Amino acid sequence: MIVLVAATVAALVRSARSPFAAPITEPQKVPFLGGGAPTTHAWQRYHVRYYPMTLLFIAFEMEMMFMYPWAVVFVEEGGKAMMEMGMFLAILSVGILYGWREGVFRWQ
Amino acid sequence: MAVRLLEKSAPSAPVSVFAAVGAGSRGRVERLFYDPRLTRVLSVRQANVLLVAGSLRDEDHDDLRRLHDQMPPPRATVWWGSDPIFGFDDLTTIAVEDDPVAAIVAAHRALIMVERASEPDLLPNEPANPWRGEGPHGQGGKGMMGGTPYGRPMAMTNDDLRDGLALDAYTAPFGPFLPMLPPGLKLSLTLQGDVVQKAEVLRPPLAQHDDGPTRALRLRRVARLLRILGLDAHADRLQDASRASECGEEVDFAKLRRLVRWSGALAAIPPGLGVVDGRDVRSRMRRWLDELGVQRPDPADPASSEQPARLVDLLEGLEWTEAILVINSFDDKALLAMAPVEKEDGNAEKGEGEHHHHDHSSRDHHSAGHAMNHGGGGSA
Repeated sequence: MIVLVAATVAALVRSARSPFAAPITEPQKVPFLGGGAPTTHAWQRYHVRYYPMTLLFIAFEMEMMFMYPWAVVFVEEGGKAMMEMGMFLAILSVGILYGWREGVFRWQ
Repeated sequence: MAVRLLEKSAPSAPVSVFAAVGAGSRGRVERLFYDPRLTRVLSVRQANVLLVAGSLRDEDHDDLRRLHDQMPPPRATVWWGSDPIFGFDDLTTIAVEDDPVAAIVAAHRALIMVERASEPDLLPNEPANPWRGEGPHGQGGKGMMGGTPYGRPMAMTNDDLRDGLALDAYTAPFGPFLPMLPPGLKLSLTLQGDVVQKAEVLRPPLAQHDDGPTRALRLRRVARLLRILGLDAHADRLQDASRASECGEEVDFAKLRRLVRWSGALAAIPPGLGVVDGRDVRSRMRRWLDELGVQRPDPADPASSEQPARLVDLLEGLEWTEAILVINSFDDKALLAMAPVEKEDGNAEKGEGEHHHHDHSSRDHHSAGHAMNHGGGGSA
């Protein structure tokens, strides 16, 4: 239902332009640079600065995601669960240590 | 019913105007937009009326035509104290002394009521860079980065200034009518994301000979910086004070100074930005603030060295916002001295097609300092 409504609205929005608006001419397609025309294609790869931060976030978040169910069964399982959590944290902390070496904690 | 209501109310809405500012008219354009019947828009795409104020250089004419065609129809052009250039017809010209607001509002109203035809394109309706597809899928060339898809060469890899990560550096001309740059200044910026890798001055800023009262001038200068910092309401207050002081009304400068201080504008400017003669952007703005109510003209800088700093050196490595702050933190005379033209602007003439970014070795250029010479570009 929601998808249907969204699709209808999208179709209406799309079709709303065509009958009234003048067609877009070639000079109007040039991006606004204050008068100049671009000489390079707009496709480009640039550094997403927050990327290492997201990886770090995932490392810590995964820890928490496992810790909640682990806390529920910890009393029943005892030492075995303790060992498992130790292994899990060790693996994750390797990732964090690697990030540290790569300068994740330095604010750019 | 609803349509008629719209029809009635549309002409009374404020007119979206994009100002293409020429020589010696920055101040009067800023004063003009104090009128509530006009709204100044930052891109010509949002405008209904293009206001050309002051005289333009010959080399700016092509840029103005391009600008005009980017304005969506219905559109009109108003010339205020400037000679209409070739190609425009249905001219609305206003003398420098006259107030153009009435003419702008009338032109807008006529456009909306379909009494005046929308101006046609000035440039031919053909792609600026025609498709030159080749290769098995028409992708434009060999390999992932090669060729010229959609008629323009791809941005090539270059080392990032901060961490040496080699990603694409994008070069584009900015100006001469970009609202956040001083009128007439046209820069070629090589950007990685929003970091300026390399800057070149293609055209110097136009002389503004702001010879009005110094107090009003100082207020407008601070207002410009405030606007860039996103403090529009504060900028409007200063703009209004500038108008009032020009009319000879009483202005409480101490209050304005306090207003700006308490806004946190100074703290919002990163320290150590654009240092020239031991002063960064923040201390230059603080100085302007201190001198707000002072009548006498700017003191000559005693510490200024015989070799003036180059604007392009100051911009390298800054993010876009920081770069714009640095450019706007100099008065017109200082900026003019700092921005000598070093590179031929290939934009006006065609033939930019065979172009800098073809060679992969451009990453070597960077390590060789900023004598990076882009292929056919000209002398660095």
